[in-house]
Amino acid sequence: MRGINKSFYGVKANDDVDFDLGVGEVHALLGENGAGKSTMCSVLAGLYRPDSGEILLDGEPVAFGSPKDALAAGVGMVYQHFRLVMNFTVAENLALGHPDVPTRLSEKDLVAKAHELGDRYDFPVDPNAYVWQLSVGQQQRVEILKLLYREARVLILDEPTAVLTPQEGEALFRTMRLMAEDGRSLIFVSHKLNEVKAVSDRVTVFRDGRVVGSADTVDATPKDLARMMVGRDLDLPKRSGSADRGAVVLSVRDLAVNDDRGLEGLRGVSIDIRQGEVVGIAGVAGNGQRELTHAIAGLRAPTAGTVELGGKDVTSRTVAHRIDAGLAYVPQSRLGVGLASGLTAEENLALKGYRKPPYAKGRLLDQDVFKSRGDKLIDDFDVRGVRPGLPVRLLSGGNLQKVLFAREVSQDHIVLMARSPTRGLDVGATEQVRNQILAERDAGIGVLLVSEDLDELLSLSDRILVFYEGKVVGEFSAEEATPEEIGLLMAGHTEEGAA
Amino acid sequence: MTRRFIVEPRGVADSWVKLAVPVASVVAALVLGAIFLAITGNSVIEVYAKMLKTAFGSWRGFSETLVSATPLILTGLAAAVAFKMLVWNIGGEGQLLIGAVLASGVAIMMGDNVPAVAAVVLVISAGAVGGALWAGIAAAPRVYLGTNEIITTLMLNFIAINLMNYLVFGSFSPWRDPDATQFPQGRPISDRARLPEFGELIPGLKSFLHRLDLGFVIAVVVAILIWVVLFRTPWGFGYRVAGDSAGAARYAGVKVSRTFFATFLMSGAAAGLAGGIMVAGVLGKMDPRSLELGLGFTGIIVAALARLNPVVVIPVAILLGALINSGPALQSIGVPSSTAVMLQGAILIFAVAGEFLIRNRIRRPDAVPTEVSEAEGATA
Amino acid sequence: MNESAEIGLLVLAIAAGTPVVYAAVGEILAERAGVLNLGVQGMMLVGAVAGFWAVFTVESLWLGVLLSLIVGAAAAAIHAFNSITLRVNQIVSGLALTIFGTGLSTFIGRAGETQLAGEPAPKSFEPLLTGGLADIPLIGPLVFGHDILVYLSWLLVAATSYYIFRTKPGLALRAVGEDPPSAESAGIDVAKVRYIHVLVGGALAGLGGAYISLALVPSWTDEPIGQAGWIAIALVILASWRPWRALFAAYLFGAAGQLNFYLQTQGVDIPSNLLAMLPFVLAILAMLVLASGERARKLGAPAALAIPYSREQR
Repeated sequence: MRGINKSFYGVKANDDVDFDLGVGEVHALLGENGAGKSTMCSVLAGLYRPDSGEILLDGEPVAFGSPKDALAAGVGMVYQHFRLVMNFTVAENLALGHPDVPTRLSEKDLVAKAHELGDRYDFPVDPNAYVWQLSVGQQQRVEILKLLYREARVLILDEPTAVLTPQEGEALFRTMRLMAEDGRSLIFVSHKLNEVKAVSDRVTVFRDGRVVGSADTVDATPKDLARMMVGRDLDLPKRSGSADRGAVVLSVRDLAVNDDRGLEGLRGVSIDIRQGEVVGIAGVAGNGQRELTHAIAGLRAPTAGTVELGGKDVTSRTVAHRIDAGLAYVPQSRLGVGLASGLTAEENLALKGYRKPPYAKGRLLDQDVFKSRGDKLIDDFDVRGVRPGLPVRLLSGGNLQKVLFAREVSQDHIVLMARSPTRGLDVGATEQVRNQILAERDAGIGVLLVSEDLDELLSLSDRILVFYEGKVVGEFSAEEATPEEIGLLMAGHTEEGAA
Repeated sequence: MTRRFIVEPRGVADSWVKLAVPVASVVAALVLGAIFLAITGNSVIEVYAKMLKTAFGSWRGFSETLVSATPLILTGLAAAVAFKMLVWNIGGEGQLLIGAVLASGVAIMMGDNVPAVAAVVLVISAGAVGGALWAGIAAAPRVYLGTNEIITTLMLNFIAINLMNYLVFGSFSPWRDPDATQFPQGRPISDRARLPEFGELIPGLKSFLHRLDLGFVIAVVVAILIWVVLFRTPWGFGYRVAGDSAGAARYAGVKVSRTFFATFLMSGAAAGLAGGIMVAGVLGKMDPRSLELGLGFTGIIVAALARLNPVVVIPVAILLGALINSGPALQSIGVPSSTAVMLQGAILIFAVAGEFLIRNRIRRPDAVPTEVSEAEGATA
Repeated sequence: MNESAEIGLLVLAIAAGTPVVYAAVGEILAERAGVLNLGVQGMMLVGAVAGFWAVFTVESLWLGVLLSLIVGAAAAAIHAFNSITLRVNQIVSGLALTIFGTGLSTFIGRAGETQLAGEPAPKSFEPLLTGGLADIPLIGPLVFGHDILVYLSWLLVAATSYYIFRTKPGLALRAVGEDPPSAESAGIDVAKVRYIHVLVGGALAGLGGAYISLALVPSWTDEPIGQAGWIAIALVILASWRPWRALFAAYLFGAAGQLNFYLQTQGVDIPSNLLAMLPFVLAILAMLVLASGERARKLGAPAALAIPYSREQR
């Protein structure tokens, strides 16, 4: 791939990316979220068209208009969200849309083919099983089999281990090696250094849409890679001073929470947050952060442990009760969770307080208060683009976040919990959000900041906890934290080298 | 690939668009109707003039239009309230009928033993309760088991139709008039349980409003009340948040399942009230032939045309009431009364398609959009 | 000709069930593609009136059949455009089609120069064989005593069943109804598959309607099909989206419709109104017991049913 450029709404997701993939090579892509790995993969798989640049396959330039074109040329991708029909059998999923399958389906042929491919790559799945009966790891095998069945020579695996157990991961690595030995080329996207070391031949590191380096895996030390990933070249000012710490306002004890699949997403975590303290949670997405914030907010019942707000146990209390007890929460999804997308800014600003005065006046709502408070907050927080009757979904990301923050910090609260509060925001809006968080701290609020942006955590937090696979694997004070150490822990790399 | 047209979501639909689309669907339906009338050799102008004259041309006609509109306001509300919360209750028909069954049952049971005002209140309340119960049969499994309510409410319509017919035509139940020896019909309820006509309350109105009864006022009041509840109370605010986005509602502490269930029952109650009001009002008995007019289904047209706004339901119901009222009169000029039904269906088809134009704008690719589109707004 | 009342009942049940078989198979195709079409009743009615009109004016049964297919598909095209291209609410669009079809069919029956209403069909579909095989006791009338459209419906059910479960386009059809994004990424044109099946479904509903006006009760009355369209929708669920089950369920309800005449001869009186509830009660029970939440999907309920699909809004 030569000089690939791709922008989304003016943001460069890929900036002049060059990338080479050898035959029979497993090539790992490392980088933080939004570094451009996935964009490059999607361009290669035909999902996006590059704004400029070219793709050479066996030396010949190719142009893919769709994933179908790419697949026909032998390039296929396993997405993080599987493209499998759950209610179909494995064999049916293999046959779906396959150009060489005859109109009359022969179950026997399909089953035989599935067995043959599974045997060749040490990859057994039952072709007659329904996909919904399979574990996530097995479903992933079906996705890979689909590509093999279509004779893909280049396979792109987008964070394939994110959904796997360690054992399943081991099995996947064996299969990846077998496929490489068979002359297929693999692109392996990962956050985890030990995996990269374990399975890849070469590694390329992305940052801010560019390729920052490429090396043979044997030559690269984890420390080097971590440094390349987080990139220390731009120095953010450290936060200034710290506020007086007061009493513990949020206390989480031995909290265990199941994830959407019913597996243990959070496995016994304890955190105390004091007044005037910012506690940062570092970690790659999907290591229990979501379960933690949901359990604190009351959106998900824990399987064990307690949550205390302002010294009172709220573990089994409702969402509304926790709001009244002083929990402000800026969720990761601005639209659809933090804000009701079809309602106006004024209405969204009342989303948490509408049950009580001044919004509620007797049995009715006071429309004037909606208007006056709405106008005031929109003014105070400099929300732009609001028009009467305009649904908030038409505001820009930065303005949405202003509306959200305005509402959350304007109500009585003792704790502010925020997840990825600056994700997708431009520089100015990011600055405003960060100042807002520091202002909260100075006002004596306890802040829980969950972010995947290490720079952000380092510049705002008094303490940083690192999450990995649902547990706290490290704790640093603001003074002693270094991005390298945190990066290693986030990637599951411990001193002993085992994950 | 260059496209001739680009479709993109609108931000705020201008109010002229919101008004123009329903008006245009009515006009388009009339044009379509005109084509069919012309093909079958009828005079388009004569037919439409006759319809207009019947529905609005005289006090008697106008009062009959309001009589027809009364249950439509309520079934329209039933659909509007439900659909806005994404409760797909299409069982207004059955809920209306069961409302009528329960209302007439209570009236027959009471006989002449209950004083007038109390009797009327009891009878029409029984209608609302009946509708809510019938909706509850679909609502409970939807909330607790996740059973698709589209199909269950639809099926319950036909169970209700057959049940009502059984009570009057298929058995000697208390609902059947024992004095009707020739052809079975519903047993008349006591006059004490009847809703008074305007003309009875204020004699001077008799010659204007004829047999229009207080049911019309009740329907209008209910519509306004529902508007107030949805747009001016904390509960209604939670309801609107939940209808817009369940995730945001949960996050804000709204009990989404409970709100959903309450909405479902409220919707059923509105339809059931329509049945109760018909029994206590114009019909005075449970008369299957006068109840099985598809009023529940027509209510869905009303709600769609009113874009689910409870107050706009009122004028739309009057328009549809006019259509229903004018149908039979066409027979006198040799045109089938089903012309009115055909027009109803056509209006709805165009209104549904028109919803697309309210939600989206269509522009030429070279034109510069005047405001940020939805996709950009979400990611920028 | 019949050996007994029981055989007569079964033969009548098959005849009464046949229009529902056509309509239900059509609806199965549409729903398997993820489009809920509540316009079945309307499509059947316009098919019925179109077929009858053709036979009444031209006296050609096959022209009537052809016209009912075309008109049914044309009616379905309205719903397809609304729900697939415009992606508006499928429920409201389907009901609109039913109301329109109901009004239009009655209108055509009465509006023209020559009134169709009250007229018998000058020709109708008659049993294919008389004498010979049809006279064999028991089996004769049951197997050989039907008109050609009954045999065609058997062929249709067999072919549709094979198509859905044993062919590649059938696989694509099911994938589109289950999981449109996955189907799209496997190279299938979701909108095209949906259009085709909604239109074919409409054509079959039209033919089902014509069977009533040209074979079952060869005449024209206002709304001659009773609740057949709604029963077809109920049957699709009862049959868990499978053609063979729909066939037998349709005959079962065909029998239920005829049963009370038979039972009266046996001295038992079950009111016809209560029997008429049966398909709807059973459909609800089936939904409660079998097709709630997760179980519905495993049974065959298309997961993407009634959900508009837009490529851009993935």
